[in-house]
Amino acid sequence: MKITFKLNGENVSIEVESYKRLIDMLREDFELTGTKEGCSIGECGACTVLMDGKAVNSCLVLAAQIDGAEILTIEGVNQGNNLSDLQRNFLTHGAVQCGFCTPGMILSSLALLNENPNPTVEEIEESIAGNLCRCTGYKQIIEAVKATAEMSNQKLRNQSA
Amino acid sequence: MKPEPFEIRIDAAEKLEGTAEYIRDMKVPGMWYGKTIRSIHANAEIVNIQFDPHYDWSKLTYVTAEEVPYNVVAMLETDMPFLAEKKVNYYGEPILLLAAENSELLKEAEEHIQIEYRKLPALFDMKKSAESEIKIFKENNTFKEIKIQKGDLNKAAADADFIIEMEAETGYQEHLYLEPQGIIAIPKDEKIEIHGSMQCPYYIKNALNKMFNEKIHVTVIQSVTGGAFGGKEDYPSLLAGHAALLANKCKHPVAMFYDREEDVQFTTKRHPSYHKDKAFVTKEGKILGLDLNVILDGGAYCTLSQVVLARAALTAAGCYFIPNITINAKAVATNTPPNGAFRGFGGPQAIFALEMLIEKIANELKMNPADVRKINLIKEGETTATSQILKYSVSAHETVDDVIQRSDYQNKHKKYAEHNKRILEKILNDEYPKENSDQKLKGIGVSAFQHGAGFTGTGENVIKGKIRVEINNEGKPVIFSAQTEMGQGEQTAFQIILAKSLNINVDDVIMSEVNTDLVPNSGPTVASRSTMIVGSLLVDAGKEIINQLTDLLNSENPGWKYEEGSFINNGSEISFIDASKKLAGLKIEKQYEHPPIIKFDDINWIGDAYPVFSWAASVAEVEVDPVTFEIKVTKYYTTHDIGKAINKDQAEAQIQGGSLQGIGYAIYEKVKIENEHYDIKGFADYIIPTPTEMPVFDVKIMENPYPYGPFGAKGLGELPLVGGAPAVLSALWMIFGKEFNKIPVMPEDLLVLFNSNQKVG
Repeated sequence: MKITFKLNGENVSIEVESYKRLIDMLREDFELTGTKEGCSIGECGACTVLMDGKAVNSCLVLAAQIDGAEILTIEGVNQGNNLSDLQRNFLTHGAVQCGFCTPGMILSSLALLNENPNPTVEEIEESIAGNLCRCTGYKQIIEAVKATAEMSNQKLRNQSA
Repeated sequence: MKPEPFEIRIDAAEKLEGTAEYIRDMKVPGMWYGKTIRSIHANAEIVNIQFDPHYDWSKLTYVTAEEVPYNVVAMLETDMPFLAEKKVNYYGEPILLLAAENSELLKEAEEHIQIEYRKLPALFDMKKSAESEIKIFKENNTFKEIKIQKGDLNKAAADADFIIEMEAETGYQEHLYLEPQGIIAIPKDEKIEIHGSMQCPYYIKNALNKMFNEKIHVTVIQSVTGGAFGGKEDYPSLLAGHAALLANKCKHPVAMFYDREEDVQFTTKRHPSYHKDKAFVTKEGKILGLDLNVILDGGAYCTLSQVVLARAALTAAGCYFIPNITINAKAVATNTPPNGAFRGFGGPQAIFALEMLIEKIANELKMNPADVRKINLIKEGETTATSQILKYSVSAHETVDDVIQRSDYQNKHKKYAEHNKRILEKILNDEYPKENSDQKLKGIGVSAFQHGAGFTGTGENVIKGKIRVEINNEGKPVIFSAQTEMGQGEQTAFQIILAKSLNINVDDVIMSEVNTDLVPNSGPTVASRSTMIVGSLLVDAGKEIINQLTDLLNSENPGWKYEEGSFINNGSEISFIDASKKLAGLKIEKQYEHPPIIKFDDINWIGDAYPVFSWAASVAEVEVDPVTFEIKVTKYYTTHDIGKAINKDQAEAQIQGGSLQGIGYAIYEKVKIENEHYDIKGFADYIIPTPTEMPVFDVKIMENPYPYGPFGAKGLGELPLVGGAPAVLSALWMIFGKEFNKIPVMPEDLLVLFNSNQKVG
């Protein structure tokens, strides 16, 4: 079947088999290999992408289900050629180790910040509770998300001032 | 203070953009997929293998055991085959390999293979292994036995007021790296190229050279590796062998990609252990003697069990000075997948058992557990179990004192005991407290632990790790080493060490690809050795580069000196990079040898077991829900002496991540054998801590330098995991006043314990 959707800001159309998973379509047909597969059953969160702004496990979504939707993968998170504030904060807070959970962590955090620009630490913990990391102990990740929220609030304040 | 750019990891940006190329992201034209056909019994003879003669096999390749040129995975022993021939020794043991263009074909073909077995009784109890009639390894199923002796236990027994005995057990632990195992083998003329997620490229090269009887050139190239923790130390040799056998036969590149279930079911785990220990103690709590007996469950093949056992034995007496010690340790075979390397490598098991014995001493002597530890901690000038005299960089007292003080352990210990009394009374009267965080049982526990950095005993002098630094055409130094980045930050640490040694910018140091055709064998990335051992070679290389450049400049015009990143002579100044362009093409090799003062007798197990130890102590605050018995670690304080933090930010990250794995080992992570195989399939039934289970971390790094380490650095990677479980269980001892001697501890275990408590009460 043919589906049309917005992928990282661009309108695209593609012919897909009805049983194909979103993660396979992204990795195989669009060669967007930043989305990682850690468990295939929606437990680890490594394959998280945003579908209409909400975090979903792309291993549990069929490609056919995204017809008409807007999909954001890690490849679409950069601001032009630069890292976004969230990515930069992960960098400066030392929140990246092996990196396999990182794209999913970034996207789950983005989903949170889109919805809630002032999350508490508990809210951050909950929003990434479905994203497992075996390296970091999570602390730096949570700090990076918190710092991003503070930065964007500061920017807003500067704009209104 | 936020980290300076100096400390930012070089591999982080591409990981954040999703462009880092892990093995499954590699595009290889014409690639086929491999599949392993595995045993469905834990112990059986293979009677017959039948390939359906009516099935069209032309679209596939298969490899049988008979076709493997040398069917032994080269490791410490020669017992493990790439493919089982006549006998299988564990459920899931590889018997056949298949490869085809796609997985549908593989699934279909599998249905047309029939393996006939003669099933035999299987052995799963490590305590019965040595005497069992089921023979897995040689006559007595024993991979190795180690005896360590110091002083005289009879003397300890004569002088002691108490003899305190304890049995302890630790369970399996699964690495659960986020990226499952994966290897691609690419056949090229007379050569085979291995790419994959791995820790030790030269282990793979060695195993494949032997497998092919040295007839094919083997090149091993590491891909970006998504976590390892020891799980990608030994196992990838087997997996790469499988991929290479298939690729060599079908002449296509072949990928062996395990999915999560295959990975957790059939790859290595931490060795379960059993301990039977005895302490000879004075009434003041001074330990005069220890009689320690350790058994490690090695699984069906030896792999690394002999050296895991060595570390367990050499760690067994903990951070304490004990005048009289006997240690008997053995690693035995059972019918499970081989157990392998896992961060800590025998250390976590040994420290857990000993720390629980210390808890029991405190409990029986009605002493404070921290005080019992402090009375017995080792000092500079004292000797370990192998009679190693600790000459430098000893921080057992300093780390314990620091963490006790920072956590306010002593006050909280009293306060929480008072708090718990009321709740426990209510429960005993059948009045369960309401769900309210104030009414949770609160505990505080402590652990003291150490980790020997680098290989055990004479290991480093056998490996003789070698690195090379080359100056490229831009005058920049390029590091060639076989050390792998798997998330721990090794590449950045190496850049920092060489940059510091040369006094130049970190960005000006370049890391070579880890490719066995390019890099010398600097030894495996294991044993907390990379920064300390290989890093020290980088410092030496840096000094030599400066010396050579100074000599070169002086030969043209005498008087040059190197200061603050520039060569200076009478008002003239040349930057390092400009000067080093003159040496473009220079290659400097450095090979490691232990400092001559380090001596070890590995027959009698006497002497300097490790060149130096890293020391640590932790305090865990724990809450137990009195209704559900759910256990949560709320706060975790730890003080680590690592000699020198090369990259402070990432050193802290290692300590947090490792501590959380230690906490998981204590109260979340459980694997059992059911129907002859592991009862876990992935993240749903093997629980690792999520962000909501993470305690508040309070980490302090101490720097008591090691004179032979780069800028004083000692090993770090494994240490944090070692102390997690004993600190958490120490808190459970405090709450319940009962013996805890087994991990993992699950809520249902507490319920059983509490019910027995009620009967007593």
